[in-house]
Amino acid sequence: MLIKRTERQARRGTLAAVLDQTAGGVDRRTFLRRSGLAAGGLAALGALPLGAVRKAEAAGTQVAGATIRKNICTHCAVGCTVTAEVLNNVWIGQEPSWESPINRGSHCAKGAAVRELVMGERRLKYPMKLVNGQWTRIKWDQAINEIGDKLTQLREKSGPDSVYWLGSAKFSNEGTYLYRKLAAFWGTNNQDHQARICHSTTVTGVANTWGYGAMTNSFNDIRNAKTMLIMGGNPAEAHPVSLQHLLEGKELNKANFIVIDPRMTRTAAHATEYVRIRPGTDIPVLWGMLWHVFKNGWEDKEFIKQRVYGMDEARKEIDKYTPEVVEQISGVPGAQLERVAKMFATQKPATLIWCMGQTQHTVGTANVRASCIALLATGNVGAPGTGANIFRGHDNVQGATDIGLDVVTLPFYYGLAEGAWKHWSRVWEVDYEWVKSRFDPKDPKKMMETPGIPLTRWFDAVLLPKDKVAQSDNVKAMMVFGHASNSITRIPESTKGMSKLDLLVIADPHPTTWASLSTNAGRKDNTYLLPICTQFESAGSRVASNRSIQWGEQIVPPIFESKDDSEVVYLLAKKFGFEDKMFKNIKVDGTKVVAEDVLREMNRGSWSTGYCGQSPERLKAHMKNQSKFDLVTMRAPKDDPEVGGDYYGLPWPCWGKPEVKHPGTPLLYDTTKSIQDGGGTFRARFGNEREEKLPDGTTRKVSLLSETYSKDSEIKDGYPQFTYGVLKKLGWDKELTPAELAVIEKIGGGPDKSDGVAWSTDLSGGIQRLCIKHNVIPYGNGKARAVAWNLPDPVPTHREPIYSPRIDLIAKYPTYPDKVSFRLPNIGHTVQKAAVDKGIAKSFPLILSSGRLVEYEGGGEETRSNKWLAELQQDMFIEISPADAADRGIKDGGWVWVTGAESSSKAKMKALVTERVGKGVAWMPFHFGGWFQGDDLRSKYPQGTDPIVLGESANTITTYGYDPATGMQEPKVTLCQIRAA
Amino acid sequence: MARFLAQARFIIGALALVFVVAVATPAPSFAQQGTPGAGVNEEQLLQQLNRISGRCTLPDQKACTLEQPAGREWREFDQGMLLWIGGILIIGAIVLLALYYLVHGTIRIEGGRSGRTMVRFNALDRLVHWTVAVSFIVLAITGLNITFGKQLLLPWMGPENFSMWSEWAKYAHNYVSFAFTIGVALMALLWIWFNFPNAADMQWLKEGGGMIGNKHPPAWKFNAGQKLLFWFVVIATAAVAVSGYALMFPFYFTDIAGMQLAQIVHALVAVLFTALIIAHIYIGTLGMEGAFEAMGTGEVDLNWAKQHHRLWVEQEMAKGRGAGAPSGAAATPAE
Amino acid sequence: MARMKFLCDADRCIECNACVTACKNEHEVPWGINRRRVVTLNDGKPGERSVSMACMHCTDAPCAAVCPVNVFYTTADAVVLHSKDLCIGCGYCFYACPFGAPQYPKVGNFGSRGKMDKCTYCAGGPEADGSKAEYEKYGANRLAEGKLPLCAEMCSTKSLLAGDGEIIAQIYKERVVKRGYGSGAWGWKTAYKESIAS
Repeated sequence: MLIKRTERQARRGTLAAVLDQTAGGVDRRTFLRRSGLAAGGLAALGALPLGAVRKAEAAGTQVAGATIRKNICTHCAVGCTVTAEVLNNVWIGQEPSWESPINRGSHCAKGAAVRELVMGERRLKYPMKLVNGQWTRIKWDQAINEIGDKLTQLREKSGPDSVYWLGSAKFSNEGTYLYRKLAAFWGTNNQDHQARICHSTTVTGVANTWGYGAMTNSFNDIRNAKTMLIMGGNPAEAHPVSLQHLLEGKELNKANFIVIDPRMTRTAAHATEYVRIRPGTDIPVLWGMLWHVFKNGWEDKEFIKQRVYGMDEARKEIDKYTPEVVEQISGVPGAQLERVAKMFATQKPATLIWCMGQTQHTVGTANVRASCIALLATGNVGAPGTGANIFRGHDNVQGATDIGLDVVTLPFYYGLAEGAWKHWSRVWEVDYEWVKSRFDPKDPKKMMETPGIPLTRWFDAVLLPKDKVAQSDNVKAMMVFGHASNSITRIPESTKGMSKLDLLVIADPHPTTWASLSTNAGRKDNTYLLPICTQFESAGSRVASNRSIQWGEQIVPPIFESKDDSEVVYLLAKKFGFEDKMFKNIKVDGTKVVAEDVLREMNRGSWSTGYCGQSPERLKAHMKNQSKFDLVTMRAPKDDPEVGGDYYGLPWPCWGKPEVKHPGTPLLYDTTKSIQDGGGTFRARFGNEREEKLPDGTTRKVSLLSETYSKDSEIKDGYPQFTYGVLKKLGWDKELTPAELAVIEKIGGGPDKSDGVAWSTDLSGGIQRLCIKHNVIPYGNGKARAVAWNLPDPVPTHREPIYSPRIDLIAKYPTYPDKVSFRLPNIGHTVQKAAVDKGIAKSFPLILSSGRLVEYEGGGEETRSNKWLAELQQDMFIEISPADAADRGIKDGGWVWVTGAESSSKAKMKALVTERVGKGVAWMPFHFGGWFQGDDLRSKYPQGTDPIVLGESANTITTYGYDPATGMQEPKVTLCQIRAA
Repeated sequence: MARFLAQARFIIGALALVFVVAVATPAPSFAQQGTPGAGVNEEQLLQQLNRISGRCTLPDQKACTLEQPAGREWREFDQGMLLWIGGILIIGAIVLLALYYLVHGTIRIEGGRSGRTMVRFNALDRLVHWTVAVSFIVLAITGLNITFGKQLLLPWMGPENFSMWSEWAKYAHNYVSFAFTIGVALMALLWIWFNFPNAADMQWLKEGGGMIGNKHPPAWKFNAGQKLLFWFVVIATAAVAVSGYALMFPFYFTDIAGMQLAQIVHALVAVLFTALIIAHIYIGTLGMEGAFEAMGTGEVDLNWAKQHHRLWVEQEMAKGRGAGAPSGAAATPAE
Repeated sequence: MARMKFLCDADRCIECNACVTACKNEHEVPWGINRRRVVTLNDGKPGERSVSMACMHCTDAPCAAVCPVNVFYTTADAVVLHSKDLCIGCGYCFYACPFGAPQYPKVGNFGSRGKMDKCTYCAGGPEADGSKAEYEKYGANRLAEGKLPLCAEMCSTKSLLAGDGEIIAQIYKERVVKRGYGSGAWGWKTAYKESIAS
């Protein structure tokens, strides 16, 4: 018998009572048409007698009485639209979102189940605090007051850096921005979010290659590719709806679909070629590919000459990776790699797709740079069907990254230098000196301009001796908003950190493993749970992986006593006494923040990244007119009254003020389009010229500017970043309006001092407006660089993972030397050496990797509380090859103990014996939590909030290892042992 | 029967699946062999194994079976062959018995009743027999309802009434089965000693049991016909009990091929059983004068006994358990 | 009249389970009842393929034939529906079904397995279209509104197709011709006694 839903009304009328088809309502026939491949599908349908389909004209998508609201799925970064039917403020059903060009009605298991999140059977209903080890209900006022008081105490005793503001990739843009601003007003750079453990290496590595560290093309654009190389990603499980575009593209173009992965994943099952690789050997494989490319002359010489700097230096490194060396390191046969290289270089357009498989390593930054160099060498950037298609993780990790919830920067990648702070002080209309005064009184300017501690090391900052942490004091308090604890490596160490904290605040729809692990570790008080609602219960914008911004309507009000992030930030700001400053230009109704105003403030300050043109009005018009956007180009027809000529979601950069009506940039660095049409160049970010040392000791200056230019560019050459001074040189300064000029001169500090006011600091938007007018790009027209001289390895080179079974290779390719980075010692080299000395690889002979399942997401506490998803994966497991299982007497489905190389870690789970992993490799999903080292922690959750499915966390077994460039952790490769339980 | 062979094939096929599945030879850990492109094919898998199974994340292992076309073949049996066999057996039995009765009439006691009786079945025998008998009737009717109900009863009862009746019938069938199974087990224990074959049986059979013509072949306590029925009952009960409890605890003991086989066995044995019991009821009531009281009161007329079970009578007399007056008077030696 | 069918293109299915949760969502299907499921063949090996399976709404449905109490009926659209009011939970439909579609609330059959539940092609049951009673027993009735089953509508890769059999066969054929490969319409021979020749 089916469960009775007493709230559910008879939501279906008879056919006669149904309304007619509203704009965009799609009937059965259109669904079927969209299911067919574009070419031919239409024609064939046209030939079929219409009587074969029941006349569906009378039916629409709306039902009598129900309201339709659109929001965006809160899971991954594909950005599927969720269409909700709401009746009497109850979310009664989901309908397919046909009109969205991104998902066209589709979802994955999670997206099709999001309605359950708002039913909230296991959600946090009201604030709670630990009293003598018992979870006790409290009121919001009490919670905010106590937390605020405690934070103030800690601030006085240990300085503002003693409080860590851990934010979320699940914040809306508005929530992110306010949280970032709160951290700045609080006075610390210890603020971060999931990108750290996800694509932080991508952002740094890719930005350091050609300007921005984001997905260059889009899921839809991949339909244009002739060769898709997926290396270090499993989109079939992590971004399922993207496979709609990948597979349809593959079918229509008869494209090469190559997967390079240690596991034969669900994605690899659909590949035309599968390459098995030892975890952590991406650089040798990429260099091995390029070795063949250069040897055979398959590189794109013109592209390299015109648009790339330093390829020769990269080639010196690449030459070392001969087929024999590559096979020795990675296991990939030379002949196979040559085949792949040939396809990638000659069957163009080719694109490289990656995800955590490349990023989550100590060499993550170098990995992604090698991928970029591969694309540059073959001329596969800046055109349809090409590009670095970086599949981001969470629904708004792109937004949160862009808005600077990141220890190294202010919003929109301005960095932390004085100029950046002054820019934002202007945008926020607060006194720069006041902001500075909020920072550590011992040296406010220094701390203000020093990057904070990455979240991956939060517990090291708590546990290490005070003198090892480069700030006034240890971290004493964790404010955790929407971030799991079990997605961070070294869980056993982290539980020690949890018990030592003076204050732990978890603000989330669910208690998370922060609650269960910390109480299990001994916390009895000074621990708070604040119920935060999902994005379905709040309005705001979020950014999909392809940089499109989508506006989500509030589907239902927050359930029980939950609040949205913005409201809680406001309450905290009020408690700290600076809400007037912080919300100066943002309307607050009572305590509820008006999201549109927050976006408008972002528009006013985000010139560097081109978030300036995406006003709330334009975004809402896009959601209303989704069906107008083309499936492949994602552009609306120029003559459409509301969204004419725009690209869906106004993908950033969207230059100039909203009035300029820039259409957005669907493909980054695309010189085949004019700037006005969404084209672009590589950023002139690394200087205009470089001094090179020659072998004979002399130097020469080499231009870093491009030798080509975008379509219809009025400057037919490379050019530097635009400043007021550059405008003057071109004579375009006369085209500035008096108002614009006044703003520029005010920023500069006078008419003669304003030459330095740049495209990114000009709050009038005039410089950008003129650039667009003249079809040049504000950030300059430079070359991408194969050599990133500011990174630990300017040209990527192979380094063995910290824990590797190949002792011989560790000697030849050791990890980075120890050094202090991000305020903490990074002793990876010491750890790697100790592992060799202790013979770790003998006692822990299996390489352990981790990754995703389609049913769950992230730390998993939310999705494992969703009954429709939880039913589908009820047990934590480890994949083990048949050979390794046979050696250990392990049966499929049997219980095993997995032990790790650090902290005497152990975990109990089921074994999945499969050929998916090769001999010597094991794999775990990282979504489970609620068990710890064999103990079931179900009783540690507040009553009724324990997730349905619990299990051991993969990160109980993972180990030390941090990319020096970003602090990225290394859960993709470590060592373990498995034995039957 | 072709169906049984088909069933056996499934079981072998299922075992073969274990070996067939390992397609690729184990390769060195990081080298890759071939392109994954070409997928598995339905036709191919069905030809190999006649059942397609894979992996799925649901804990219910049955969900991992994608397709079992054998279900259709089982349906052909259940709605085809079974109806014919059952119909022919049961109606055939009734018709044949009716004919026999019309031609031959009731088998009379020669020389009429003597007026003296002897104990044939004691209280325990009779209790067990009637428990089994009543249970059997209930089981037969409720069981036949599953196979023939919707053709015969549903049209005049209407769907709702028929479903309600069938639901209760199903409960009855399940619960009464215990009484029946235990009863037959006791019956077997009580009477097995009298049911081993001996020389008299051959003669009895050769003379057709005296049912045709006027012969009186000798018999001990149970004649060959009764012995055949006894063994049939014991074995058939074992068969319907095992298959029946498999059906009552589905998938506890076996997979779907096994469940289909269980139903086939249960149904076929049951209809045969029913036909034979109809004959047994006939002979124990209408068919033979003096037979019913054997199970009714437990005492039978001496003449009847001498006519049908002469050797048993002699044996009993020798043991001093001769005939006496009816209603349990003390035995007195015969004249 | 349209003859409704399901077709799962195994060369597109990635076992994302959207079809499974969409069905759960739309009809509030309880834990333990799996109207739709995805099975992966050759899991982890070359040639791995996933197929989404629910009731196929067969021509001459075996479940209907063996049901002792005639619980099943076929609509004009060729959708095979059932009446929970009449079901006695004997379990025969599961033995006959080639696709494992019938689901039961109880594991044992002591007395009854409970009322059988299965995919309704989002077409409800005998109660009035869109009524509360229909929803509580069978789930939503999308067909009555001119919509198609939600599982197919929400499939992430458009691998699961639902609708008029001729149209979806045509779509599939075109795909196979265009891309050059196709492992066939799984279950069609068994369910509809036809195969799609390209």
